[in-house]
Amino acid sequence: MFSRLPFNTQKKFVIFGFVSLPLLLLLTFSYYPALELIRLSFTSWDGLSPNKEWIGWSNYKEVFANPAIFGVFKHNFAYFVVGIVQNIAAIYFAVVLNSKLKGKNFFRLLLFLPYILNGVAVAYLFGYVFDTTNGSLNYLLGQLGFDALSQTSWLGNESFVNYTLASIGFWRFMGFNMVIYLAALQSIPSDIYEAASIDGANGWEKFIHITLPNIYKIIELNLFLTVTGALEVFDLPFVLTKGGPAGASETFVMKIIETAFQFNNYGLASAMSVVLLLFVVIVLSIQRFLLNKKGD
Amino acid sequence: MKKMFSLALVSVVMLTTLAACGGNNAGNETNNAAKTNNTATNAADNKTDNGGTEEGSKITGDVIFLTNRTDMIDKQYVDYEKRFEEKYPGVDLKFEAVTDYDKTLKIRIASGEFPDVVFTPTIPNAELPNYFAPLDDIQLSGDIHFKDLKSHEGKMYGISSGGSTVGIVYNKKAFEKAGITAVPKTYDEFLAASQKLKDAGIVPLASNFKDKWPLDVWVYDIPSLIGGASDHQNKRAETDTPYTLDNAYGKSWGIVRELHQKGFLEQDVNSTNWEQSKKDVASGKFGMYLLGNWVINQVIENGAASEDIGFFPFPADNSGEAKAPLNPDFFYAVNKSGNVEAAKAFVQWMIEESGYDDFAGFIPTLKAKEPKLPQLAEFNSFSPKFFEPAAPVDAATQIQNKAQLDQAATVQEFVLSKDPQKVLDKVNAAWAKAKKDLGL
Repeated sequence: MFSRLPFNTQKKFVIFGFVSLPLLLLLTFSYYPALELIRLSFTSWDGLSPNKEWIGWSNYKEVFANPAIFGVFKHNFAYFVVGIVQNIAAIYFAVVLNSKLKGKNFFRLLLFLPYILNGVAVAYLFGYVFDTTNGSLNYLLGQLGFDALSQTSWLGNESFVNYTLASIGFWRFMGFNMVIYLAALQSIPSDIYEAASIDGANGWEKFIHITLPNIYKIIELNLFLTVTGALEVFDLPFVLTKGGPAGASETFVMKIIETAFQFNNYGLASAMSVVLLLFVVIVLSIQRFLLNKKGD
Repeated sequence: MKKMFSLALVSVVMLTTLAACGGNNAGNETNNAAKTNNTATNAADNKTDNGGTEEGSKITGDVIFLTNRTDMIDKQYVDYEKRFEEKYPGVDLKFEAVTDYDKTLKIRIASGEFPDVVFTPTIPNAELPNYFAPLDDIQLSGDIHFKDLKSHEGKMYGISSGGSTVGIVYNKKAFEKAGITAVPKTYDEFLAASQKLKDAGIVPLASNFKDKWPLDVWVYDIPSLIGGASDHQNKRAETDTPYTLDNAYGKSWGIVRELHQKGFLEQDVNSTNWEQSKKDVASGKFGMYLLGNWVINQVIENGAASEDIGFFPFPADNSGEAKAPLNPDFFYAVNKSGNVEAAKAFVQWMIEESGYDDFAGFIPTLKAKEPKLPQLAEFNSFSPKFFEPAAPVDAATQIQNKAQLDQAATVQEFVLSKDPQKVLDKVNAAWAKAKKDLGL
């Protein structure tokens, strides 16, 4: 039946079939929920009742006016800072492990492995590392003779709890960043380096003038991942500190979950999600603007 | 142009990844309302006390019970199913266990279809009739606890699966080692006992401060004992300053603060470990818990001999009078568009015959039934005055949700802060604002 149709009609059917199915899935599971999210953000839905009352912009006003909601963004700052350091370390390791080195595959694997572990498992694991009285970190510090340091409450100090948590993120994602950098480094043709060597460039000059410009796009990509990651952190503080001590490690996504599921305010939580979305777009635009200023 | 395009692409990607929280359309809850009335009256006719198969055979159909006890699936529930179906041969009983019970159930209710027997979700009592059948016609063999807690306009929509009380769960060996001969009956004696424990190298009270939920006792239970009334959570709706240093909350939280400052809690309260603490109480490294009686079985499971674990009422003041709260556990509720008749039979069976309350270490819902747990008998020997909770008033919950107030987190802040008055001022300000915004 189908084969009797003219070839062009057949072609159209096939194209239509292949395009419509993924589009349909995309629309049902991505765009419809996204639009629904935006719609809910204008209502005062409690998550249960059949009627969703339209309340206009007041959820958005609440998000920006209430310092208890918007203020938690400053906790995410620690994750930015550590994220930048993480990228620098990742480039460093990528360059080192891209050179001629014995057992480099072993070291690559070693650095990449933490990324494969499940986030909640990682959080539990570090719960034991950072425990004040029985933790392995404090035990190690004590054995090394740092008696004053070995009583540190790593997850209980308001001033650096976020850095403690971010350092776990560092451990976990550095290897992933490194693998991406490695792939970029391997795509740089080696004759450029040879030419530079002949011209008398040293290792640092080669890094600045050849390596960096060549992996520029990849740095941008990794920074994008770091920034979104920093804004959306959730699993580590959720498992390890529950936002404590006294809310010092609460992140915006935790606040969203709390608003929706504990305080039954799905409307406000949706508005917060939309604000987070806009926030990511704005931060990324600024980042692109700054990074591209001297580029094209 | 290229930049614009990639920016657009980025936002589309973000939209896609972030859009996980969609909504559900709550549609067809109401269209089954009429059906319920018939079945309800039928069920009333069927209930006679002798409970043989003759009566049981009239009840037929499937009953699904959504439970939170994932650990009982394929174990105790197999036995429950056998015994229940013996009594009611026409009924096919099924169990479905979920974790994260409240959230899961709410989503399923919002979708319009949910199992026949569930535990009531955390919704205002006024909304209960929208989803659940009234249970007043279940003829239980005696008077029950917590009758009014899940009722609306005189009808009862939930029957408690059991009750628990809160007090000091302690390791008798640890008390012996510290040279404590009698359990403290006043707050001063309690502090002295704690000091003795501390001097003996034992952590006096395991607070599990970091995990937040163990602090709930300081929010709900201890203020009842201090104020001598259990409706303090409701009373908050009447004032702009529900939390002051000299009311029940301030006093209750002041006790934790004092215990913390005297070093009677864990060495670092921000780094506590719940699972480990059970082992430590069992082994006598920690002296006491201030928690519900449900924790007793868990401590025993973690290696303590039952006779080494004791339980006494917490002396919140120096009056010497034993006081204790009596709190309900989850409430059974029956889906009004499900198999109501069989579901009610199951609820009655769970309360009267299943033995679940003993298995779980609860205080039985039936007032006449004695609890099996030896520690509860010890607790009752102090003849404490029990405070049953007051039926919740929606206004207070509404304000609390509007103010986004997490009371356990406030306790943490109160204890850790240099200036507790400031913490209370902040919470009160948020409370007053939310109250005003809601027009209450």
